[in-house]
Amino acid sequence: MRGFKTLLWLEYRRSRVWAAAFLGSLAFWFWGLNQVTVRDFAERAGIRVAIVGVAAAVGLVVLCFMIGRLRGETRHGQYQVLLLTPPSGYVHVLARAVFALAAGIVYYVILGGLLWWVAARAGIHPDAGSVLQLLLAGPFYGIGSVVLPFLSWTVLLMVFSSAFRLSGPSWIPGIVMVAGTPFLFRWISEGIVNVSYRLPAWSMFGGFTRLIEAAEMDIETEVVITSQGALVPQEPLWIMLALSVVMLAIAGRIWQEVEG
Amino acid sequence: MTQAFLIVLRLMALALLGYFAYRLWLGTRSWTTRAVAFVFTGALAWQFIAGTW
Repeated sequence: MRGFKTLLWLEYRRSRVWAAAFLGSLAFWFWGLNQVTVRDFAERAGIRVAIVGVAAAVGLVVLCFMIGRLRGETRHGQYQVLLLTPPSGYVHVLARAVFALAAGIVYYVILGGLLWWVAARAGIHPDAGSVLQLLLAGPFYGIGSVVLPFLSWTVLLMVFSSAFRLSGPSWIPGIVMVAGTPFLFRWISEGIVNVSYRLPAWSMFGGFTRLIEAAEMDIETEVVITSQGALVPQEPLWIMLALSVVMLAIAGRIWQEVEG
Repeated sequence: MTQAFLIVLRLMALALLGYFAYRLWLGTRSWTTRAVAFVFTGALAWQFIAGTW
């Protein structure tokens, strides 16, 4: 792990403006949520949940742009910060992924908090377990199964394209990877669907959905509504996490071979 | 007519992909990079030859 702390600090120096703007955009989304003034509470909550969904998607794009800025590390071919020992490609990629992941975790946990706020404003006050699922389990599931794979793919794309920088245009590897990914992803997603629910599924937001149903039916919460919430399969999370690690390892290996 | 047009289109796409594969193979000396290029080029070639969406 030689040089990891230095590279993490370098990553912070390079991307702090991006990270600050990224996290600062949450204020904009919170302002947007406050602008929804539809009278019907269910409709209002639905619009607000949709806004949080848009915030999650936009945040993912911004994170991908942040992690994909490879050339910002050097200026005229020279490192902006002098590194006494050249760190390995794996450490470079790891530092990049860790910094972006940390920013993403903060962002998506706060988005979970905004969802909690939306629920509270709609008159739904979930139990402690549901709040923890909203703040931690949900965001971490999304980060592991969606955000981290996207970030790893972006790093691999940029490293793979940059490997051809000296020999010719990097748009050829870029086009091949971008065009080939949907087909590979189609096969991977078919595989994920085939193996899903073989392991015990996770029941999430049980208390939350019980409250929503109670609110919709206009009855007391104590009335028995046996909602289990959403049954979330755990296989997509493990498969996408493994895939992310593989993509980051390949990116590190390419970095090592090309730059080392 | 449509069938023939699609076959010609596929052949042209395969020819372009072959050129890309040639450039990707010779454009680097890193075997990991070549392997990644092979995976994505192979996925595209498979799609052009036998793929249905």
